[in-house]
Amino acid sequence: MKKIVLQGSLLILLFLGSWFALRQIDWMNIFEVEKAKDNTQESLGELFLETYTQAENQNFNSQVVEPMDSIINHIAKANAFDREYIKVHIIEKDEINAFALPYGHLIINSGLILNCDNQEELIGVICHEIAHIELDHVMKKLVKEIGLSVLISMASGNSGGDVIKESLRVLSSSAFDRSLEKEADLKAVDYLVKAKVDPEPFAEFLYKISKLESDATQYFNWVSTHPASKERATYIIEYHDNELSDYQSILTTETWESLKAELAKSSNHLVN
Amino acid sequence: MISTQEFSYIPAEAEAEAASNSYLMSLIAIIAGLPLPIINLIATLVFYLGNRRSSYFVRWHCTQALLSQFSMLFINSYAFWWTISIIFQDESISSEYIAYLIVAIVFNLTEFIATIYTAIQTRKGIHVEWWFYGNLTHTFCKEEI
Repeated sequence: MKKIVLQGSLLILLFLGSWFALRQIDWMNIFEVEKAKDNTQESLGELFLETYTQAENQNFNSQVVEPMDSIINHIAKANAFDREYIKVHIIEKDEINAFALPYGHLIINSGLILNCDNQEELIGVICHEIAHIELDHVMKKLVKEIGLSVLISMASGNSGGDVIKESLRVLSSSAFDRSLEKEADLKAVDYLVKAKVDPEPFAEFLYKISKLESDATQYFNWVSTHPASKERATYIIEYHDNELSDYQSILTTETWESLKAELAKSSNHLVN
Repeated sequence: MISTQEFSYIPAEAEAEAASNSYLMSLIAIIAGLPLPIINLIATLVFYLGNRRSSYFVRWHCTQALLSQFSMLFINSYAFWWTISIIFQDESISSEYIAYLIVAIVFNLTEFIATIYTAIQTRKGIHVEWWFYGNLTHTFCKEEI
Protein backbone atom coordinates (compact mmCIF):
# COMPACT_ATOMS: atom_id res chain seq x y z
CA MET A 1 0.00 0.00 0.00
CA LYS A 2 2.89 2.33 0.90
CA LYS A 3 4.37 1.71 -2.55
CA ILE A 4 1.09 2.68 -4.23
CA VAL A 5 0.79 5.91 -2.24
CA LEU A 6 4.42 6.75 -3.05
CA GLN A 7 4.00 6.02 -6.75
CA GLY A 8 0.69 7.93 -6.86
CA SER A 9 2.28 10.93 -5.15
CA LEU A 10 5.22 10.79 -7.57
CA LEU A 11 2.81 10.76 -10.50
CA ILE A 12 0.93 13.79 -9.16
CA LEU A 13 4.25 15.52 -8.46
CA LEU A 14 5.42 14.75 -11.98
CA PHE A 15 2.27 16.32 -13.39
CA LEU A 16 2.32 19.40 -11.18
CA GLY A 17 6.11 19.78 -11.50
CA SER A 18 5.95 19.67 -15.30
CA TRP A 19 3.13 22.19 -15.26
CA PHE A 20 5.04 24.47 -12.91
CA ALA A 21 8.20 24.25 -15.03
CA LEU A 22 6.34 24.92 -18.29
CA ARG A 23 4.50 27.87 -16.72
CA GLN A 24 7.80 29.71 -16.53
CA ILE A 25 7.92 29.92 -20.33
CA ASP A 26 6.20 32.85 -22.03
CA TRP A 27 3.94 30.77 -24.28
CA MET A 28 1.76 33.79 -25.11
CA ASN A 29 4.75 35.33 -26.85
CA ILE A 30 5.93 32.11 -28.49
CA PHE A 31 2.52 31.35 -29.98
CA GLU A 32 1.85 35.07 -30.69
CA VAL A 33 -1.57 34.67 -29.07
CA GLU A 34 -2.17 38.40 -28.66
CA LYS A 35 -1.17 39.06 -32.28
CA ALA A 36 -3.52 36.35 -33.55
CA LYS A 37 -6.32 37.72 -31.35
CA ASP A 38 -5.67 41.25 -32.61
CA ASN A 39 -5.68 40.13 -36.24
CA THR A 40 -9.02 38.36 -35.81
CA GLN A 41 -10.53 41.35 -34.01
CA GLU A 42 -9.15 43.77 -36.60
CA SER A 43 -10.63 41.77 -39.50
CA LEU A 44 -13.98 41.44 -37.73
CA GLY A 45 -14.08 45.12 -36.74
CA GLU A 46 -13.39 46.25 -40.29
CA LEU A 47 -15.87 43.79 -41.73
CA PHE A 48 -18.68 44.93 -39.42
CA LEU A 49 -17.86 48.60 -39.90
CA GLU A 50 -17.84 48.25 -43.67
CA THR A 51 -21.18 46.41 -43.62
CA TYR A 52 -22.76 48.97 -41.27
CA THR A 53 -21.50 52.08 -43.05
CA GLN A 54 -22.59 50.71 -46.43
CA ALA A 55 -26.19 51.10 -45.32
CA GLU A 56 -25.78 54.29 -43.24
CA ASN A 57 -24.21 57.72 -43.68
CA GLN A 58 -21.12 58.40 -41.65
CA ASN A 59 -20.59 62.02 -40.60
CA PHE A 60 -17.07 63.30 -41.35
CA ASN A 61 -17.85 66.97 -40.66
CA SER A 62 -14.93 68.41 -38.68
CA GLN A 63 -17.33 70.37 -36.45
CA VAL A 64 -18.77 67.03 -35.37
CA VAL A 65 -15.68 64.81 -35.45
CA GLU A 66 -13.34 67.19 -33.60
CA PRO A 67 -15.51 67.69 -30.48
CA MET A 68 -16.02 63.91 -30.31
CA ASP A 69 -12.26 63.39 -30.60
CA SER A 70 -11.72 65.93 -27.81
CA ILE A 71 -14.05 63.94 -25.56
CA ILE A 72 -12.29 60.63 -26.30
CA ASN A 73 -8.82 62.25 -25.94
CA HIS A 74 -9.76 63.66 -22.56
CA ILE A 75 -11.17 60.37 -21.23
CA ALA A 76 -8.23 58.35 -22.61
CA LYS A 77 -5.65 60.70 -21.11
CA ALA A 78 -7.34 60.76 -17.72
CA ASN A 79 -7.70 56.99 -17.61
CA ALA A 80 -4.38 56.10 -19.28
CA PHE A 81 -5.71 53.81 -21.98
CA ASP A 82 -4.57 53.66 -25.59
CA ARG A 83 -6.38 56.50 -27.38
CA GLU A 84 -5.45 55.19 -30.83
CA TYR A 85 -7.38 51.97 -30.17
CA ILE A 86 -10.73 53.76 -29.83
CA LYS A 87 -12.05 54.70 -33.26
CA VAL A 88 -15.23 56.78 -33.15
CA HIS A 89 -17.71 56.78 -36.02
CA ILE A 90 -20.66 59.17 -36.02
CA ILE A 91 -23.58 57.78 -37.99
CA GLU A 92 -26.42 59.99 -39.16
CA LYS A 93 -29.34 58.05 -37.78
CA ASP A 94 -32.27 59.13 -35.58
CA GLU A 95 -32.26 55.95 -33.51
CA ILE A 96 -30.90 56.61 -29.98
CA ASN A 97 -28.09 54.12 -30.03
CA ALA A 98 -24.39 53.66 -29.47
CA PHE A 99 -22.50 50.38 -29.59
CA ALA A 100 -19.04 48.94 -29.75
CA LEU A 101 -17.65 46.76 -32.53
CA PRO A 102 -14.52 44.60 -32.30
CA TYR A 103 -11.10 46.26 -32.46
CA GLY A 104 -12.16 49.44 -30.70
CA HIS A 105 -14.68 50.74 -33.24
CA LEU A 106 -17.28 52.82 -31.44
CA ILE A 107 -20.47 53.66 -33.33
CA ILE A 108 -22.51 56.64 -32.11
CA ASN A 109 -25.77 57.56 -33.77
CA SER A 110 -26.53 61.25 -34.20
CA GLY A 111 -29.95 60.53 -32.61
CA LEU A 112 -28.23 59.75 -29.32
CA ILE A 113 -26.22 62.99 -29.31
CA LEU A 114 -29.27 65.07 -30.24
CA ASN A 115 -31.28 63.54 -27.39
CA CYS A 116 -28.66 64.26 -24.73
CA ASP A 117 -29.55 67.36 -22.70
CA ASN A 118 -25.94 68.03 -21.84
CA GLN A 119 -22.48 66.77 -22.77
CA GLU A 120 -22.11 64.80 -19.50
CA GLU A 121 -24.98 62.50 -20.53
CA LEU A 122 -23.26 61.76 -23.83
CA ILE A 123 -19.86 61.31 -22.19
CA GLY A 124 -21.47 58.84 -19.74
CA VAL A 125 -22.79 56.71 -22.59
CA ILE A 126 -19.45 56.92 -24.42
CA CYS A 127 -17.61 55.82 -21.25
CA HIS A 128 -20.04 52.92 -20.89
CA GLU A 129 -19.26 51.75 -24.45
CA ILE A 130 -15.51 52.30 -23.98
CA ALA A 131 -15.76 50.15 -20.84
CA HIS A 132 -17.27 47.35 -22.95
CA ILE A 133 -14.31 47.69 -25.34
CA GLU A 134 -11.63 47.88 -22.64
CA LEU A 135 -13.13 44.96 -20.69
CA ASP A 136 -13.19 42.85 -23.87
CA HIS A 137 -16.97 42.33 -23.62
CA VAL A 138 -17.50 42.71 -27.36
CA MET A 139 -15.63 39.58 -28.40
CA LYS A 140 -17.04 37.62 -25.47
CA LYS A 141 -20.57 38.51 -26.54
CA LEU A 142 -19.88 37.56 -30.14
CA VAL A 143 -18.33 34.23 -29.17
CA LYS A 144 -21.29 33.48 -26.93
CA GLU A 145 -24.00 34.48 -29.37
CA ILE A 146 -22.44 33.65 -32.71
CA GLY A 147 -19.84 30.97 -31.91
CA LEU A 148 -16.09 30.89 -32.20
CA SER A 149 -15.93 28.87 -35.43
CA VAL A 150 -18.31 31.24 -37.25
CA LEU A 151 -16.25 34.24 -36.09
CA ILE A 152 -13.00 32.71 -37.32
CA SER A 153 -14.56 31.89 -40.69
CA MET A 154 -15.90 35.45 -40.84
CA ALA A 155 -12.47 36.93 -40.05
CA SER A 156 -10.92 34.83 -42.79
CA GLY A 157 -13.59 35.97 -45.27
CA ASN A 158 -15.43 32.68 -45.54
CA SER A 159 -18.80 33.75 -44.26
CA GLY A 160 -21.93 34.91 -46.04
CA GLY A 161 -23.49 38.36 -45.85
CA ASP A 162 -26.48 37.13 -43.84
CA VAL A 163 -24.27 35.83 -41.04
CA ILE A 164 -22.38 39.14 -40.92
CA LYS A 165 -25.65 41.13 -40.80
CA GLU A 166 -27.03 38.89 -38.06
CA SER A 167 -23.82 39.31 -36.00
CA LEU A 168 -24.02 43.06 -36.52
CA ARG A 169 -27.62 43.03 -35.34
CA VAL A 170 -26.54 41.18 -32.19
CA LEU A 171 -23.91 43.85 -31.48
CA SER A 172 -26.06 46.86 -32.27
CA SER A 173 -29.48 45.81 -30.98
CA SER A 174 -29.00 43.59 -27.99
CA ALA A 175 -27.57 44.18 -24.56
CA PHE A 176 -24.74 42.29 -22.90
CA ASP A 177 -25.34 40.02 -19.91
CA ARG A 178 -26.66 41.83 -16.86
CA SER A 179 -23.37 41.33 -15.02
CA LEU A 180 -21.37 42.70 -17.97
CA GLU A 181 -23.70 45.72 -18.24
CA LYS A 182 -23.24 46.46 -14.56
CA GLU A 183 -19.48 46.02 -14.84
CA ALA A 184 -19.43 48.47 -17.78
CA ASP A 185 -21.65 50.95 -15.93
CA LEU A 186 -19.41 51.01 -12.87
CA LYS A 187 -16.26 51.16 -14.98
CA ALA A 188 -17.86 54.09 -16.85
CA VAL A 189 -18.35 55.87 -13.51
CA ASP A 190 -14.66 55.31 -12.72
CA TYR A 191 -13.68 56.73 -16.11
CA LEU A 192 -15.96 59.74 -15.59
CA VAL A 193 -14.65 60.49 -12.11
CA LYS A 194 -11.02 60.23 -13.25
CA ALA A 195 -11.83 62.52 -16.19
CA LYS A 196 -13.46 64.93 -13.71
CA VAL A 197 -16.84 64.58 -15.42
CA ASP A 198 -19.90 64.44 -13.19
CA PRO A 199 -21.43 60.92 -13.44
CA GLU A 200 -24.84 62.04 -12.18
CA PRO A 201 -26.10 63.24 -15.57
CA PHE A 202 -25.31 59.73 -16.91
CA ALA A 203 -27.56 58.26 -14.21
CA GLU A 204 -30.15 60.95 -14.92
CA PHE A 205 -30.00 60.06 -18.60
CA LEU A 206 -30.84 56.47 -17.65
CA TYR A 207 -33.69 57.69 -15.43
CA LYS A 208 -34.94 59.89 -18.21
CA ILE A 209 -34.93 57.16 -20.77
CA SER A 210 -36.30 54.58 -18.34
CA LYS A 211 -39.51 56.60 -18.49
CA LEU A 212 -39.50 56.07 -22.22
CA GLU A 213 -38.99 52.33 -21.83
CA SER A 214 -42.68 51.64 -21.57
CA ASP A 215 -43.24 53.03 -25.02
CA ALA A 216 -39.81 52.19 -26.34
CA THR A 217 -39.77 52.11 -30.07
CA GLN A 218 -37.01 51.58 -32.58
CA TYR A 219 -35.83 55.12 -31.77
CA PHE A 220 -34.85 54.17 -28.24
CA ASN A 221 -32.69 51.23 -29.09
CA TRP A 222 -29.88 51.84 -26.60
CA VAL A 223 -32.47 52.04 -23.84
CA SER A 224 -34.84 49.27 -24.80
CA THR A 225 -32.00 46.80 -25.22
CA HIS A 226 -30.35 47.72 -21.93
CA PRO A 227 -32.63 46.22 -19.27
CA ALA A 228 -33.85 47.97 -16.14
CA SER A 229 -32.39 51.41 -16.79
CA LYS A 230 -33.93 52.70 -13.55
CA GLU A 231 -32.14 50.03 -11.55
CA ARG A 232 -28.91 50.90 -13.35
CA ALA A 233 -29.34 54.59 -12.60
CA THR A 234 -29.81 53.71 -8.93
CA TYR A 235 -26.66 51.66 -8.57
CA ILE A 236 -24.66 54.24 -10.53
CA ILE A 237 -25.76 56.92 -8.05
CA GLU A 238 -25.00 54.61 -5.10
CA TYR A 239 -21.59 53.65 -6.50
CA HIS A 240 -20.72 57.24 -7.17
CA ASP A 241 -22.10 58.49 -3.86
CA ASN A 242 -18.80 58.59 -2.03
CA GLU A 243 -16.79 60.00 -4.87
CA LEU A 244 -16.17 63.69 -4.58
CA SER A 245 -14.49 65.67 -7.27
CA ASP A 246 -14.34 69.15 -8.73
CA TYR A 247 -16.07 68.44 -11.99
CA GLN A 248 -15.42 70.23 -15.23
CA SER A 249 -16.77 70.28 -18.79
CA ILE A 250 -14.72 68.82 -21.60
CA LEU A 251 -16.35 70.90 -24.32
CA THR A 252 -17.23 74.55 -24.05
CA THR A 253 -20.95 75.34 -24.17
CA GLU A 254 -20.46 76.86 -27.63
CA THR A 255 -18.75 73.71 -28.99
CA TRP A 256 -21.45 71.49 -27.51
CA GLU A 257 -24.21 73.62 -29.01
CA SER A 258 -22.46 73.82 -32.37
CA LEU A 259 -21.99 70.03 -32.38
CA LYS A 260 -25.72 69.54 -31.83
CA ALA A 261 -26.60 72.20 -34.38
CA GLU A 262 -24.42 70.56 -37.04
CA LEU A 263 -25.97 67.18 -36.36
CA ALA A 264 -29.48 68.65 -36.38
CA LYS A 265 -28.70 70.24 -39.73
CA SER A 266 -27.55 66.89 -41.17
CA SER A 267 -30.57 65.20 -39.65
CA ASN A 268 -32.97 67.71 -41.25
CA HIS A 269 -31.09 67.36 -44.49
CA LEU A 270 -31.67 63.59 -44.33
CA VAL A 271 -35.38 64.04 -43.66
CA ASN A 272 -35.73 66.49 -46.51
CA MET B 1 6.86 2.48 -16.79
CA ILE B 2 5.33 -0.59 -18.40
CA SER B 3 6.54 -4.03 -17.47
CA THR B 4 5.71 -7.53 -18.67
CA GLN B 5 4.96 -9.79 -15.71
CA GLU B 6 4.16 -13.43 -15.19
CA PHE B 7 0.43 -13.92 -14.58
CA SER B 8 -0.79 -16.56 -12.17
CA TYR B 9 -1.99 -18.69 -15.08
CA ILE B 10 -1.80 -18.69 -18.89
CA PRO B 11 -4.93 -17.01 -20.23
CA ALA B 12 -7.06 -18.63 -22.90
CA GLU B 13 -7.51 -17.10 -26.34
CA ALA B 14 -10.99 -15.69 -25.51
CA GLU B 15 -9.68 -14.13 -22.29
CA ALA B 16 -6.80 -12.44 -24.12
CA GLU B 17 -9.27 -11.04 -26.64
CA ALA B 18 -11.66 -9.69 -23.96
CA ALA B 19 -8.76 -8.20 -21.96
CA SER B 20 -7.39 -6.52 -25.07
CA ASN B 21 -10.85 -5.17 -25.88
CA SER B 22 -11.00 -3.33 -22.55
CA TYR B 23 -8.10 -1.15 -23.73
CA LEU B 24 -9.49 -0.83 -27.24
CA MET B 25 -12.75 0.37 -25.72
CA SER B 26 -11.06 3.44 -24.28
CA LEU B 27 -9.30 4.10 -27.60
CA ILE B 28 -12.52 3.91 -29.60
CA ALA B 29 -14.23 6.15 -27.05
CA ILE B 30 -11.59 8.82 -27.62
CA ILE B 31 -13.20 9.51 -31.01
CA ALA B 32 -16.50 10.38 -29.34
CA GLY B 33 -14.94 11.48 -26.08
CA LEU B 34 -12.57 14.17 -27.27
CA PRO B 35 -14.87 17.07 -26.47
CA LEU B 36 -16.24 15.46 -23.32
CA PRO B 37 -13.62 13.65 -21.23
CA ILE B 38 -16.19 11.67 -19.25
CA ILE B 39 -17.22 9.65 -22.34
CA ASN B 40 -13.95 7.65 -22.22
CA LEU B 41 -14.48 6.80 -18.60
CA ILE B 42 -18.10 5.79 -19.15
CA ALA B 43 -17.14 3.51 -22.06
CA THR B 44 -14.44 1.80 -20.02
CA LEU B 45 -16.75 1.59 -17.00
CA VAL B 46 -19.51 -0.05 -19.05
CA PHE B 47 -17.01 -2.59 -20.36
CA TYR B 48 -15.71 -3.17 -16.83
CA LEU B 49 -19.20 -3.72 -15.44
CA GLY B 50 -19.98 -6.14 -18.26
CA ASN B 51 -16.88 -8.18 -17.44
CA ARG B 52 -16.74 -7.95 -13.66
CA ARG B 53 -17.71 -11.61 -13.34
CA SER B 54 -15.28 -12.77 -16.01
CA SER B 55 -12.02 -14.59 -15.47
CA TYR B 56 -9.27 -13.04 -13.36
CA PHE B 57 -7.14 -12.05 -16.38
CA VAL B 58 -10.04 -10.18 -18.04
CA ARG B 59 -11.14 -8.52 -14.80
CA TRP B 60 -7.60 -7.48 -14.00
CA HIS B 61 -7.06 -5.74 -17.31
CA CYS B 62 -10.54 -4.14 -17.32
CA THR B 63 -9.68 -2.69 -13.91
CA GLN B 64 -6.29 -1.38 -15.05
CA ALA B 65 -7.91 0.26 -18.11
CA LEU B 66 -10.64 1.79 -15.93
CA LEU B 67 -8.22 3.17 -13.31
CA SER B 68 -5.99 4.76 -15.95
CA GLN B 69 -9.03 6.41 -17.52
CA PHE B 70 -10.18 7.63 -14.13
CA SER B 71 -7.05 9.69 -13.50
CA MET B 72 -7.13 11.06 -17.03
CA LEU B 73 -10.69 12.21 -16.32
CA PHE B 74 -9.43 14.70 -13.71
CA ILE B 75 -6.71 16.07 -15.97
CA ASN B 76 -8.98 16.36 -19.01
CA SER B 77 -12.01 17.73 -17.15
CA TYR B 78 -9.91 20.51 -15.68
CA ALA B 79 -8.60 21.37 -19.17
CA PHE B 80 -12.13 21.18 -20.60
CA TRP B 81 -13.75 23.52 -18.05
CA TRP B 82 -10.80 25.90 -18.14
CA THR B 83 -11.26 26.14 -21.93
CA ILE B 84 -15.01 26.67 -21.55
CA SER B 85 -14.45 29.47 -19.04
CA ILE B 86 -12.01 31.14 -21.46
CA ILE B 87 -14.52 31.01 -24.30
CA PHE B 88 -17.65 31.95 -22.41
CA GLN B 89 -16.56 33.68 -19.21
CA ASP B 90 -14.06 36.23 -18.02
CA GLU B 91 -10.99 33.98 -18.11
CA SER B 92 -8.42 34.70 -20.79
CA ILE B 93 -5.71 32.65 -22.44
CA SER B 94 -2.48 32.72 -20.44
CA SER B 95 0.91 31.01 -20.44
CA GLU B 96 -0.32 29.07 -17.39
CA TYR B 97 -3.25 27.69 -19.43
CA ILE B 98 -1.06 26.80 -22.42
CA ALA B 99 1.44 25.07 -20.10
CA TYR B 100 -1.41 23.04 -18.58
CA LEU B 101 -2.65 22.03 -22.04
CA ILE B 102 0.85 20.91 -23.06
CA VAL B 103 1.27 18.76 -19.93
CA ALA B 104 -2.26 17.36 -20.37
CA ILE B 105 -1.55 16.51 -24.03
CA VAL B 106 1.77 14.80 -23.11
CA PHE B 107 0.03 12.74 -20.38
CA ASN B 108 -2.82 11.84 -22.74
CA LEU B 109 -0.39 10.88 -25.49
CA THR B 110 1.65 8.72 -23.11
CA GLU B 111 -1.52 7.03 -21.93
CA PHE B 112 -2.68 6.59 -25.53
CA ILE B 113 0.59 4.92 -26.61
CA ALA B 114 0.65 2.76 -23.47
CA THR B 115 -2.95 1.71 -24.14
CA ILE B 116 -2.20 0.68 -27.73
CA TYR B 117 0.90 -1.23 -26.65
CA THR B 118 -0.96 -2.98 -23.83
CA ALA B 119 -3.92 -3.83 -26.09
CA ILE B 120 -1.50 -5.54 -28.53
CA GLN B 121 0.38 -7.39 -25.80
CA THR B 122 -2.68 -8.61 -23.92
CA ARG B 123 -4.18 -9.81 -27.21
CA LYS B 124 -1.16 -12.14 -27.39
CA GLY B 125 -1.91 -13.27 -23.85
CA ILE B 126 1.05 -11.35 -22.37
CA HIS B 127 0.35 -9.78 -19.00
CA VAL B 128 1.41 -6.13 -18.91
CA GLU B 129 1.44 -4.03 -15.75
CA TRP B 130 1.69 -0.26 -15.73
CA TRP B 131 3.74 1.63 -13.21
CA PHE B 132 1.47 2.66 -10.28
CA TYR B 133 -1.73 1.44 -12.01
CA GLY B 134 -0.53 -2.16 -11.91
CA ASN B 135 -0.03 -2.10 -8.16
CA LEU B 136 -3.28 -0.18 -7.69
CA THR B 137 -5.13 -2.77 -9.77
CA HIS B 138 -3.74 -5.57 -7.58
CA THR B 139 -5.35 -3.97 -4.51
CA PHE B 140 -8.76 -3.71 -6.19
CA CYS B 141 -8.78 -6.90 -8.23
CA LYS B 142 -8.30 -10.21 -6.43
CA GLU B 143 -8.17 -13.66 -7.98
CA GLU B 144 -11.15 -14.78 -5.90
CA ILE B 145 -14.37 -12.81 -6.53
